[in-house]
Amino acid sequence: MAVGQSIPMRDAVARVTGTLAYAGDIQLPEMAYARVLRSPHAHARITGIDTRAAEAMPGVLTVLTGADLGQQGAPARNYGISRADQPVVAYDRVRFIGEPVALVAAERPEIAEAALQQIQVSYEPLPAVFDPFVAQTAAAPELHANVAANRLIHAKLRHGDIVAGFAAADIIVEETFTSPAAHTVPLETHSLAAQYRDGQLTCWTGAQAPYQVHKLLGDLFGLRGDQVRVIVGPLGGGYGGKGHVRIEPLVAALAWKVGGRPVKLTLSRAEEFVTVTKHAASITIKSGATRDGRLTARQVTMTWNIGAYADSSPLLVSSGMVRGVGPYRIPAVHVDSYGIYTNLPSAAAFRGAMSSQSTWAYESHIDTIAHRLGLDPLHVRKVNLLRSHDHFCTGEEVHDMHVVECLEACTERLGWQQSAKPTAEGALRYGRGMAVMMKSTQATSRSETRLSLNDQGRLTIYTSSVEMGQGAHTALSQIAATAMDIAIERIDLVGPDTARTPFDTSTSAARSTTMMGEAIHQAADLLKQKLCTSAEAWLERPAAELGVADGVVYAIDAPHERLTFAEVVRRAGLTEISATGTAATKHGLDPETGQGVATPHWHQGAGACEIAVDIETGKMKVLRYEAASFAGRVVNPALANLQNDGNVIYGLGPAISEQILFDDHGRVLNDNLSDYLIPSFMDLPGQLRSSCVEDDGHVYHGIGEMTLPPVAPALANAIFDATGVRIRDLPLTPERVLRALTEEMSHE
Amino acid sequence: MNEPITMQLNGTTISWSGSPQRRLLDLLRDDLGLQSVREGCGVGMCGACTVQVDGQAISSCLLLTGQVAGRQVRTIEGIGTPESLHPVQQAFIDHAAFQCGYCTPGFILTVEALLREIPAADEATIREYLSGNLCRCGSYNNILAAVKALQSGNYSPLG
Repeated sequence: MAVGQSIPMRDAVARVTGTLAYAGDIQLPEMAYARVLRSPHAHARITGIDTRAAEAMPGVLTVLTGADLGQQGAPARNYGISRADQPVVAYDRVRFIGEPVALVAAERPEIAEAALQQIQVSYEPLPAVFDPFVAQTAAAPELHANVAANRLIHAKLRHGDIVAGFAAADIIVEETFTSPAAHTVPLETHSLAAQYRDGQLTCWTGAQAPYQVHKLLGDLFGLRGDQVRVIVGPLGGGYGGKGHVRIEPLVAALAWKVGGRPVKLTLSRAEEFVTVTKHAASITIKSGATRDGRLTARQVTMTWNIGAYADSSPLLVSSGMVRGVGPYRIPAVHVDSYGIYTNLPSAAAFRGAMSSQSTWAYESHIDTIAHRLGLDPLHVRKVNLLRSHDHFCTGEEVHDMHVVECLEACTERLGWQQSAKPTAEGALRYGRGMAVMMKSTQATSRSETRLSLNDQGRLTIYTSSVEMGQGAHTALSQIAATAMDIAIERIDLVGPDTARTPFDTSTSAARSTTMMGEAIHQAADLLKQKLCTSAEAWLERPAAELGVADGVVYAIDAPHERLTFAEVVRRAGLTEISATGTAATKHGLDPETGQGVATPHWHQGAGACEIAVDIETGKMKVLRYEAASFAGRVVNPALANLQNDGNVIYGLGPAISEQILFDDHGRVLNDNLSDYLIPSFMDLPGQLRSSCVEDDGHVYHGIGEMTLPPVAPALANAIFDATGVRIRDLPLTPERVLRALTEEMSHE
Repeated sequence: MNEPITMQLNGTTISWSGSPQRRLLDLLRDDLGLQSVREGCGVGMCGACTVQVDGQAISSCLLLTGQVAGRQVRTIEGIGTPESLHPVQQAFIDHAAFQCGYCTPGFILTVEALLREIPAADEATIREYLSGNLCRCGSYNNILAAVKALQSGNYSPLG
């Protein structure tokens, strides 16, 4: 059986020989190259654009500006997956530094680059606002019409009697935690080619949500679904930043103006930082607890800086609300989650979307509560952690809860209760910390697949799940091999191409293994029925008396009477027999109360660590890190643990170093990998171990994010354990740690 | 017209008459079509564009074409092919030492150089040597396991 085996990734040989082609590698006949002119102002009115000199340059095909769009027969001017507030190219105003103002298509990238210098744009600067709290004041500029106080989103959750809950508490603790903007930094930057010819638009893009791109481009161009084709190859990293819709409208509009020839745009590393960011967040969390550590009430106020445009924030800020409470049983909970416009680049999903920010708050906070009560933080967590059949603050009954086992797996391996941490030595102080997380996946989503068995006995999976390094295509192949009971070597896979592969909501929120896996099981069941029906005449029995195993259809009462799958197809006079499968969920919350069902299942993870802090330099070293996630049934143990490991290493970035720095004018100061440091081998913990918690069910749970959000609070809790200093702002740079230590000493 | 620049690329003599100031990365990737040489940061921090020059691993975004005149340049195509994998490539597969694969050719070139230069490197040395190659997916544990397996196996770094 293929499920449960650690086989290598499907295209492992292509990955180690460098032959795997990413979106940026695409070469098409007559390809033109695009470059983007970007706004130098955070907020300004555009009073004029002169493109004549650029258009006159040899080798320049065309220049696109906002004036080209919005008329009869042209693409619309604005787009957005939840609110069409974002110009494809700015036309009257710019709202952040780096916003596209014009695009050049040329024979060569260098020519396009040079032509940008020849475009004259005049601006009338407007007051800008960058802080989401200032943006809500009367003095702040209004970024979009009809959005009062720049407050685009206010998601609310009201559960239980909050007054009574706080009244029942022996202590009440209130703290505010912040996390800055950050960047997903896929090593492959955003890249795509688009071609508009004879009323047909084709995009070859590195995107996590091919069908969202497909739908949005159809709407933008007024084209039917069959006139838009979106093709997605392997991604050189996604991590949420290639989710939803990013630069596709921009390049597609340019391709439309070029007319006929394909156009390619590959963003520079610097452009990445103004294309999408992680939501900067400020989270105030107030909890009541009894002396024995039981939580009685929790009030959370979350303020998310969404940047200049809505993008996916209306969905994410609402998800952030339910991801903001933690995996705890609390009788009374109020959450207010605000999404505020500012003059900064738009924010969107960052691996562990919204959970990274919220886990930072609630998992640091629970250690503060434990400390104030004089209790073991492990004990306080276990007293309050949700178990199966408990009710969460959305009112829903939770199932498959294993967060306690995830936490215990980590703390036992670390030796939380079994062994003492090292004693202080010189300037080094040692500490231990832990954290848990629980994250909703998409409440409403759908995955479809088609399985096709051909007359050679090979099975092809048609899927729009995106392979971005997480091993989705390998896991789906293993699931199909198991569901059809055939050897994995006989399986082929056709990846996302809206002209060939059926609908899938997106490859995000760790949903593919669960949802596409379920769709494959359904398609396989149907396909096996069809094979039995086709074999009825040859095996001289009704389908109900036939079985399917090991690549053959056989008579249950006489197993030696059998036909291989290939023979069944051939004798039916066909070249293939195929079947489709669909997995869909439809849930949601009441917008006024946040009550309902937030998710088909909860993702769960934990981490525990031991660190050393140098109190003279503030430098922290992670000596040991233990991680665990709940996986349901593990498809591929080696790749599953690689996801867990990868999440920890990815999570170390925003925990210890990553933050986008903006100057007073809203300009990114560190838009390169010299000044924006992502984890290297030197940041790898001395020992990093991961595990999956499994249960005896047959449900596959996604594991693409779960060990990430606990990293930052586990480290901060360890710093507190080592030094007695509580840090509430990320990242935990040596400078910040040292400053916190110095302040603590000056208070003593 | 510039003087032609001659170099050995994966064992074959290449003569090129463009600007000596063109980045080696652009020459290899755009002009010679070696798409395994990938740009990640453009400032020598990520190692995705790593090549070997006279056996040493180096970021090709930091080299100008004129600087490799008369020298031996090796890319992943000169290490192994899909039909005939190099032991380092096989070890990366055996230990699941990659995810998205964008950084993988660069890592393999650096690991091959490490094992030739310091065959018995201890773990601290391995970590430091490989710290110029970044894997955003976070496969470092498995890369480390692959290197250690090569060190303890039959692999002979000098071929």
